Amino acid sequence: MKSFLSNLGYFLKEAGRIVRMNLLSNIFSFLGTGLVMFILGMIISGWWIGSQMIEMLQEEAEISAYFSENSDRDEVQRLVEKIKAIDGVWQVRLVEEEEAYSRMEDVLGEEAHILELFDDNPFEAFIEVRIHLDKMEEILEKVSALDGIEHVRDNKGVLQRLQSITNALKALGLLAIAAVGITTLVIVSHMIRQGIYNNREQISTLKLLGAPGSFIGFPYILVGLMLTLGGGILAVALISFVISRGYDMVSVSLPFIPLPSGKVLVTDLTRLLLAISAFLGIAGSLFGLSSTRDAEGSV
Amino acid sequence: MIEAKGVSLRYKDGTLALHNVNLEIKPGELVYITGPSGSGKTSLLKLFMGVEYPTSGALKVLGQAMFRREAMKIRKLRRKIGPVFQDFRLIEGRTAMENVMMGMRFLGIPSRQIKQNAISALARVGLEHKAYSRVENLSWGEAQRVSIARAVARKPALILADEPTGNLDHANALNILDLLTSFKDKNTTVIITTHATHLIEDQKNATFVRVNKGNISIERRCESNEELLI
Repeated sequence: MKSFLSNLGYFLKEAGRIVRMNLLSNIFSFLGTGLVMFILGMIISGWWIGSQMIEMLQEEAEISAYFSENSDRDEVQRLVEKIKAIDGVWQVRLVEEEEAYSRMEDVLGEEAHILELFDDNPFEAFIEVRIHLDKMEEILEKVSALDGIEHVRDNKGVLQRLQSITNALKALGLLAIAAVGITTLVIVSHMIRQGIYNNREQISTLKLLGAPGSFIGFPYILVGLMLTLGGGILAVALISFVISRGYDMVSVSLPFIPLPSGKVLVTDLTRLLLAISAFLGIAGSLFGLSSTRDAEGSV
Repeated sequence: MIEAKGVSLRYKDGTLALHNVNLEIKPGELVYITGPSGSGKTSLLKLFMGVEYPTSGALKVLGQAMFRREAMKIRKLRRKIGPVFQDFRLIEGRTAMENVMMGMRFLGIPSRQIKQNAISALARVGLEHKAYSRVENLSWGEAQRVSIARAVARKPALILADEPTGNLDHANALNILDLLTSFKDKNTTVIITTHATHLIEDQKNATFVRVNKGNISIERRCESNEELLI
């Protein structure tokens, strides 16, 4: 360990020299790795956003029960009590026409002036029922069957669609991870093999002098790490920019979409991408080093 | 130090490079391996370095049995050897100092000590003024001295020099031989291969291993120049 630390400067210098020996190829490898990582990051962020949106929507799983316009307050109150008694319901409240109107104003934001086109309040009063999602089917059945309930609206369809998109993104994410992994491993191991070939005489001399494989190979592992971590940092920079712009656009044009915190998303993605980059850099280098074992100049 | 019993070396193409070599070299000896080109001198050094392995017989270098299956241990053994290669094998793009230091970086020597050893080794070969010159800018003789400095800076138990006098004029060849033999002490064995026997004919206190068509004969000369043929 002591010997390793005292040689750290030498290892870094060697890694820099190996990169410079084949500068153009290394620059393209770095850019290629960065773009591949960027694609991976975008797919993962889509998957995360979708999953978190579903979680948020599931927490707010609710149905709206609409009753007959002729029902008086006592009848509505009785309906509220009956719904409260259903298993799986955890909150019931009556939303008056004015509150429904005001909620829509909040949702529409700057576009709320559209509501002024109506002479009267177009919204009906309804009973808002917060439920446990897993009991949605039974609750829907029981609420619909109550006397005085005209129709029931739920967000099950939205949740199911979101769920299927997220599942598709998840599958795509796994495929992307595999594709990125293989591509990066091939790029890095190829660059390492090329570096070893370019330095075969030096490697051969070091072996004759008794240098251990770890001493000869460590600069190449550093090169792999520099390539993939550099690519990872480039990807993180691009993703931060895209997510920040994307959030700005969504929050203005689609304010009712419940997005997870952009800061947390970027932080988590940064950690994940840098960890994947470091892993692939080391794995690719080791693969490159091991694949030259029987070749001239092998480590 | 080195013990060879019935060692033979046959290359993959079928060439018999060494045949039934029996040899014992003790610590602190100066050994010249002589013979014409292609006689098997370099093959003998390759066996001592663990670059080739005996196809039959038993060879021990610094107590290490030289078998292919011991490759990892043999790589460690090389750390106790100071090789001076025929083609120097200096690493281009680096200074003389960097080349000498590189041979010590994996020996567990503290950084400061590595630098001190390198400076004193370069001084010993008369090249301290070229320490920071790139090796590709050095003359043939200077490059050879850097190669010697790299070998001795490691303070090896065994110095193996392969044809260090090749391509040198008489005076420079003698200088290089004097330099190499000056590193011999009770703990350091020096083995030099050369085909220029005229350079060493007056040498005393040394062992001469003559190689001819893969067979060897050994002559030991003591201080009084008395010859002892084995």
